[in-house]
Amino acid sequence: MQRFLDPTVLAGISSLDLLAKTVVDGFVAGLHRSPDFGFSQEFAEYRAYVPGDDLRHVDWNLFARTERCYLKRYRGETNSQLTVLLDASNSMQYSSGPTKKMDYARFIAASLFYLAIRNQRDAAGLIVFDDEVRDYVRPSTRQGQLARLFAALERAEPHARTDIQKPLRHFQELLHRRGIVIVISDFYEDPTEVVRAIEPMRFHGNEVLLFHILDRQEIRPELKGSAILIDLETDERIEVVPEYAKTAYRAKVDAHIEQLRSRTRAAGMDYQLLVTDQPLDESLREYLSLRQAAH
Amino acid sequence: MGFLAPWFLGGLAVLGVPVFVHLLRRHVTTPQPVSSLMFFERGTQSSMRHRRLKYLLLFALRFAFVLMIVLAFANPFVRRAAADANGRLLLIVLDHSFSMRAGTRFTDAKEQALALLSAKPHTQKAQIMALGGQLEVLTQPIAEEAQLRSALESIEAGDEHGNFGDLGRGIQPLGNTIRGPIDLHLFSDMQRTAMPANFADMVLPANVTLVLHPVAKGAAPPNWTVESVDAPSELSDPKDPRRSRVKAVVAGFGTPAAVKTVSLVVNGKSIATHKVNVPANGRATVEFAPLDVGYGFNRCEVRIGNGSGGGDDFPADDTSVFAVRRSDPERVLFVHGANDLRSAAYFGAALNAVARASFVLQSVNAEETTDIDPSKYAFVVLSDAVILPAIFEHTLQFYVAKGGSVLIALGTSAGHGARITLWGGNVQDVHDYARIGSPATIGQVDFSHPVLEQAQPVRDNGGWEEIKIFYAAVVDAGQARVAAKLSDGTPLLLDKPLGEGHLLLFTSGFDNLTNDLPLHPVFVAFVDRTARYLSGSERLSGSRLVDSFVQLHATGQAEGTSANVEVIDPDGHRPLSLSEARTAETIRLQRAGFYQVRFANGRDAVIGVNPDRRESDLQPVTEDVQQLWSESSAGGAAAQTADAKQVVLKYQSISLWWYVMLLALALVIAESALASGYMGTRREEI
Repeated sequence: MQRFLDPTVLAGISSLDLLAKTVVDGFVAGLHRSPDFGFSQEFAEYRAYVPGDDLRHVDWNLFARTERCYLKRYRGETNSQLTVLLDASNSMQYSSGPTKKMDYARFIAASLFYLAIRNQRDAAGLIVFDDEVRDYVRPSTRQGQLARLFAALERAEPHARTDIQKPLRHFQELLHRRGIVIVISDFYEDPTEVVRAIEPMRFHGNEVLLFHILDRQEIRPELKGSAILIDLETDERIEVVPEYAKTAYRAKVDAHIEQLRSRTRAAGMDYQLLVTDQPLDESLREYLSLRQAAH
Repeated sequence: MGFLAPWFLGGLAVLGVPVFVHLLRRHVTTPQPVSSLMFFERGTQSSMRHRRLKYLLLFALRFAFVLMIVLAFANPFVRRAAADANGRLLLIVLDHSFSMRAGTRFTDAKEQALALLSAKPHTQKAQIMALGGQLEVLTQPIAEEAQLRSALESIEAGDEHGNFGDLGRGIQPLGNTIRGPIDLHLFSDMQRTAMPANFADMVLPANVTLVLHPVAKGAAPPNWTVESVDAPSELSDPKDPRRSRVKAVVAGFGTPAAVKTVSLVVNGKSIATHKVNVPANGRATVEFAPLDVGYGFNRCEVRIGNGSGGGDDFPADDTSVFAVRRSDPERVLFVHGANDLRSAAYFGAALNAVARASFVLQSVNAEETTDIDPSKYAFVVLSDAVILPAIFEHTLQFYVAKGGSVLIALGTSAGHGARITLWGGNVQDVHDYARIGSPATIGQVDFSHPVLEQAQPVRDNGGWEEIKIFYAAVVDAGQARVAAKLSDGTPLLLDKPLGEGHLLLFTSGFDNLTNDLPLHPVFVAFVDRTARYLSGSERLSGSRLVDSFVQLHATGQAEGTSANVEVIDPDGHRPLSLSEARTAETIRLQRAGFYQVRFANGRDAVIGVNPDRRESDLQPVTEDVQQLWSESSAGGAAAQTADAKQVVLKYQSISLWWYVMLLALALVIAESALASGYMGTRREEI
């Protein structure tokens, strides 16, 4: 089943609906063997009856067998709201293999939506942005919401530059209710600026999770000679020597990732680095654990 | 410059490969898109420049390497103008052999050579050589005229016998060393007797042009000379009519019949004069007897004329010198075994027959030698004396080490395994040929050995073939020289140097029981030569020819143990340095006159040295032969016609193939070193 979570395999599936179903079903099937998580009202524990407890919760079958009065407790079931903020800037177009960062982000978002709406009965919404808010699907659990979200994902084509400061001013206006906010981006910004832009959502009671999407080549670039590199967002060109890419660049990227991780966690947010050749279950697992923590 | 195989230049098309790889393909670089240049920095400019320079250098090396390989196949050459004087080596060879003393030959030759040297361009290189008994190189090829002139003027007329074969052999390596053309100018009297036996020895290398300058024009002048002198080198009794006489041969070359006065001069004083009729172009013998000389060394000479020469243009050859040493008869110690009584009689009789009054044989039984001092004897003979008193044996060893000589005859007492006194070995076996009924004969005789020396041995092996050997011991020859062998290969006579002396081992005996040698006439001659060889009198006086050698030290002597020798040449100079006096084994007698030698064993010698009498025949080589010699070299052939000379000598093609290949090799090594460093960086990136 793991192979259905492999982004290389998923890239061959054209329909986001089918893709999300494949991912989530495969992921859930794997979870059934795990004792840690549950998705509906389920038994939690027995507790001895004390006067004043609601008699409706007494387990009478147990009382009939043991003549002792115990309360049967269930884990409560609540609905949450998932909002995905998807970066659709030009830098997300980059790929060194079969999967672009944008496609990988789409797969994650589609899988999250499917998981949230079909399995968790949560409301889910989408904000697509680059240097402006390009598309917005209000979080809802209504019939056809999943189709609307997938359609919005299909429409989200990268263009323009990333400027997270500008659209985030509007995010507060769009997020009316507390819930889970997942920001999917490659975060080619100063980590301080990124945290400063996203932090207000946390202050409003949202659980914020940053999915940092990067290609393997962006972390460990391999140049076989001095090369001319073009910035996908600015079209700027520079000549780079392999020695630099091998040493200084790697150190800078590692420092950037580490800084982003530490700043977001210091601000009470979660951070997850996702490399485009990794399976998708990491992102789903992160979402579920965050959802559980939110309750 | 040209190419010997220009069609290989088509290979220059291969030069397109490095051009494509380095210059054309290099510009096709596809820019790579990246998400952001946020973390990238522009490459350091100096590093890139260095890399580019390295890259271009690698391209240049590869390009040059391919170019060199193509050029090597095309075989380039350069044409160097060779006809100009500066490109030709002027080689002046001046003959200073003895015959050049005749008339004004040597003076004329030297003047002509100096005139040629003066006429040469200042920048032209020249080299001076002198041809005498051997070819002497006096200068290197240089252009300094003063140095060349000085070398030429330093050549003096010599006493040696010249040979054009030495010239040919000496010039061969020079012709191979110097690639350019050489003009060899030979100033000589072109004497016929200087021609080698084989004409091929005279042929010069192809790049040598021989120009002959014969200083003897026309027919050879008449010349009388003392061709040979037969005189005793040792004399003990001046009244001995058989030995006390001097026999000289006066020869005329190209001379009419004449009456010549021949004098015998002893120590500068003419003691006898004879008139002799010398036939036209013939020889006459004159005899002086008795030879009355005083004790010690006497410097004698036979001279034509009464101090005024022989009446020809070549007075230097009118005299023949020799030394006669008068002394009391020397004693010879003959030690024999107890049973060996005949050997002393035979040996003594033979010795008395040839050298009467020169040697006196003293026969002693081996057991009675304890108190005998061998140093008082000319030499010692051990005949069938296997066992000697230890004291005498030790004294004998010391005697030989100091220059004494011993003749050992093994006889019949030397049985199987017996130790050979002084020799340093044992008898390995004995052959009793008499017992098997077929006596052995002497199969091989070394006539070059002084004891067996014969100028022209006749067909019966010089008289040795008839001798029958009945008994002989078998001895391991080791380092010894085998002078005679039996027909079955058993060594009969062995010679071994020991210290300054000699050991002569005769593996049979001197009686008529072990062989019949004492009964044959050859035994007398054998004893005579043996006595002279072992006593050393052969080399103490008498006469020799110029260019002959005198042995100063024994060859078998250990280094550092030899004593100094002293040699004084006819001019009163010491030709040997101190180190040479200690180490030189021989000395070459280069001058005519009397040499005084003191050998390492303390014995003095006076040796008369005469020029080779072939030099007295002044007949020159015919013009046909001279022309043939000149034309035998390519340069000489080219000199036949002026036009041909210009064509042949104007240009000389010098192939550059070897240099191009060397350059290509250097390039490929540099390319490998540079490319490995370049590729090494790339491997690190991966």
